[in-house]
Amino acid sequence: MSSTERQNAGPKPRTLTRSQPMFHRVLQADPNDVRQALKDLRARFAPQLSADTMGRLELVLAEVMNNVVEHAELALLPDAMSRSIHLCVVMHDNGLSCAITDDGGRLPADCLLPRNLPVMDPLDLPEGGFGWCLIQGLTQSLCYYREDQRNCLAFMVPYQQSQFSGPISG
Amino acid sequence: MPILIVNEADAELIVTIQDARIDAAIATRFKDRLREIVLRGRKPVRLDMRRVDFMDSSGLGAMIAVRKALPESLPLVLEGLTPNVERVFRLTRMDSVFDIRPAPQQE
Repeated sequence: MSSTERQNAGPKPRTLTRSQPMFHRVLQADPNDVRQALKDLRARFAPQLSADTMGRLELVLAEVMNNVVEHAELALLPDAMSRSIHLCVVMHDNGLSCAITDDGGRLPADCLLPRNLPVMDPLDLPEGGFGWCLIQGLTQSLCYYREDQRNCLAFMVPYQQSQFSGPISG
Repeated sequence: MPILIVNEADAELIVTIQDARIDAAIATRFKDRLREIVLRGRKPVRLDMRRVDFMDSSGLGAMIAVRKALPESLPLVLEGLTPNVERVFRLTRMDSVFDIRPAPQQE
């Protein structure tokens, strides 16, 4: 039975609500699992989104999940205890609502504070430190909370991104 | 393993990236492989990126590491960036550090 049929079942069928594409995945905190989840996510949403929105969505989710993987690796957990990531993305009228949870350590508070790009020293260019700048620059309504042993990060990726078309500044 | 095709001309090294994704699953190996190629070549490098459809900040970090491994005297030119790759360079201002050019017309 489809969700539409279920909604319309019974003696007094309800008005048809518009169902929006969504994506839900539970994956291991591993770079190859992240890559596969992003490929599947693209297959799900690419037909519905502009190439620009799809690219921004994929980039921001990659950055968030890469951070989770990196910190899971730093914690040096035995394989049997490898960490899981729950990813959920739902299309709304004004953007893609994303939620990512993981059972890793608490997110340092400064990740969510407004930040500048790493210092651009031409003689010693930074090779990292871009992830959270990209996440902050590409999302709206970014929020984080800790629930028992899980990190929960939620944000919106808007369909239009005029204000961040240039470089991210602090 | 990342797949890089190397064409060595008299005056330059043309390296074509065959992978569609330069992401965290591949970034370290990509960096090591490309660095080895450019250091062995000792020539100006043209990197053909037309096939790369996705790059994250770990991929960007790999590109920066390769740029830093090359002496100042040897240029590294990035050619044919797709919109997803161009976005990462632009948002991090690394487009001001790298020599980024459109893909050549032929082929």
